[in-house]
Amino acid sequence: MISVIRAFRSEVPKFRRWSVLAVAGAMLVVSTFIAYLTFHQIASGATGREMAGLITAFPTPQGLVSIIGQARSLIIAIALVMVTANLAAEWSQGTLRNLLVCEPRRLRWLAGKMLALVLFVLLSMLLTLLISGTFILVVAQGQGIQTAAWTSPEGLRVFLAFLGNEVLCLVGVSALGMLIAILTRSVAAGVGIALAYILVVEGIIAVVLPQVTQWFPGRVFNTIVGTAVPLVGPEPPQGYPAALGAALLWIAVFVVVSAVVFPRQDVKA
Amino acid sequence: MSLSSEPARGFAIETQGLSKRFGSQTAVEGLTMRVPAGAIAGFIGPNGAGKTTTIRLLLGLVRPDAGSATVLGHSLAEPERYLPRVGALVEAPAFYPGLSGQTNLEVLARLGGHPGSLVAELLEVVGLSDRARDRVGTYSLGMKQRLGVAMALLPDPELLILDEPANGLDPLGIIEMREMLRRLAGQGKTILLSSHLLGELEQLADWLIMLNQGKVLFCGPARELLAQRVEVVVESQDAIQLDVVARIAGDAGHAVTREDGVLRIACPAGFAETLNRMAGETGAPDLTLRIREASLEQLFLALIKGDHP
Repeated sequence: MISVIRAFRSEVPKFRRWSVLAVAGAMLVVSTFIAYLTFHQIASGATGREMAGLITAFPTPQGLVSIIGQARSLIIAIALVMVTANLAAEWSQGTLRNLLVCEPRRLRWLAGKMLALVLFVLLSMLLTLLISGTFILVVAQGQGIQTAAWTSPEGLRVFLAFLGNEVLCLVGVSALGMLIAILTRSVAAGVGIALAYILVVEGIIAVVLPQVTQWFPGRVFNTIVGTAVPLVGPEPPQGYPAALGAALLWIAVFVVVSAVVFPRQDVKA
Repeated sequence: MSLSSEPARGFAIETQGLSKRFGSQTAVEGLTMRVPAGAIAGFIGPNGAGKTTTIRLLLGLVRPDAGSATVLGHSLAEPERYLPRVGALVEAPAFYPGLSGQTNLEVLARLGGHPGSLVAELLEVVGLSDRARDRVGTYSLGMKQRLGVAMALLPDPELLILDEPANGLDPLGIIEMREMLRRLAGQGKTILLSSHLLGELEQLADWLIMLNQGKVLFCGPARELLAQRVEVVVESQDAIQLDVVARIAGDAGHAVTREDGVLRIACPAGFAETLNRMAGETGAPDLTLRIREASLEQLFLALIKGDHP
């Protein structure tokens, strides 16, 4: 356990890099911007079929979450890139050999690193939701819009349910990123494959085999959040308990495969 | 190959038939070598000889296909038993370019459980204190190399494995590196030093391991190798006579270099007399032969050509 804590502590200074902070900053700024655009459209009286649900939910306790949750796809994509690139960079930069000479028990090192990475991703997401939520609240109050339902106990419950499922979603996405990084051992290949899979491949297969793809990891991680607030994503067609079980199973599969492959790899980078 | 000498403190590294293939490429084949504890061992070989793969095998970064080895008395299969006492710089120094030199070392100090105060001390030792807070991305190759040596020294290692540590260093840096390595060896540390700077190794190493195409050509005390071989300098005004001598030496499998009417032949000490006799018999009697101790570079070339001591 001590070596996992050491690995975790050794990761923390790496988050000071501009490249890491810039990605987290982009998540915050773009998500807030998307939330503001959504709010502005509703507040300025926009109409349309795709807006109908959001307009209906706007004055309810789900109103704020449905607005700040519009950037969820972006948050998932950025989290996936963050984890995949950060881990794969240890191979691409050649720094993995330094680390594994310091800590030859590879799984302990990987556990410490992933713990730090996942916490960083979750903190970035939490900060993004809190700042964009606060921003929308302030803007709404500035325009005289009634926000009491958003901050009511029911509003808070909706937010926490959304947050809990979003945490699980990002843990799953991070586990997927970890496996892709370990298998590709390259930032360019890892990020390319991760984004192509989550944004394109699952979508294409879904057109042909929708019954099958509902169990695919990207779909499962995405739809469990839609259960809490349907307006921020699709609901799981197989039902929440089944989707939750599938999500946990996928996370376990990614962790086990990583744990089997990584200690057996030759570090040639 | 001499493995007979038994040093008082035993061997820090012992390998037996170690082999590693990457796909169809054999990187290391049946490698058997030893490094005595407390020695500075020069690890020599042309590019692709298998030096870096051997180092990676010893550090547990790649797994052998065959053979066995012990490092500091522990099997390669248990790197966690010996790596805490090993410092290493493998290939080109690799760091996080966006972090400072100091932070890069802090990352490794935290991971290895070393005190943070050691970081400043080691930066001072390698002469990087004044650039400690600058991003590594702004460092020259020589500075990265110094930082790599500081990284290798973090665990206060019993065994130091350095792969081309003088790469990119200026002459003053090379001299400082040499002095530092002597100082570390004086503290009883074992040093395995891979380098293409054969002149440097000749000054530093008391043990030599020569590798070519994944196989060991020589492993033993440096003085044993150097004593076995000489450089025969052949001078003549007659270019034809020099051609004759060069052919005789070449046919015997010895490395010959020619410059301005002078031939330099790296060969066993006994070959000088044979050469003189054969040259006389084949019509090259007017030669001046001088025998000098061969340099490591000449020995290396001779061994690579397949000329065994």
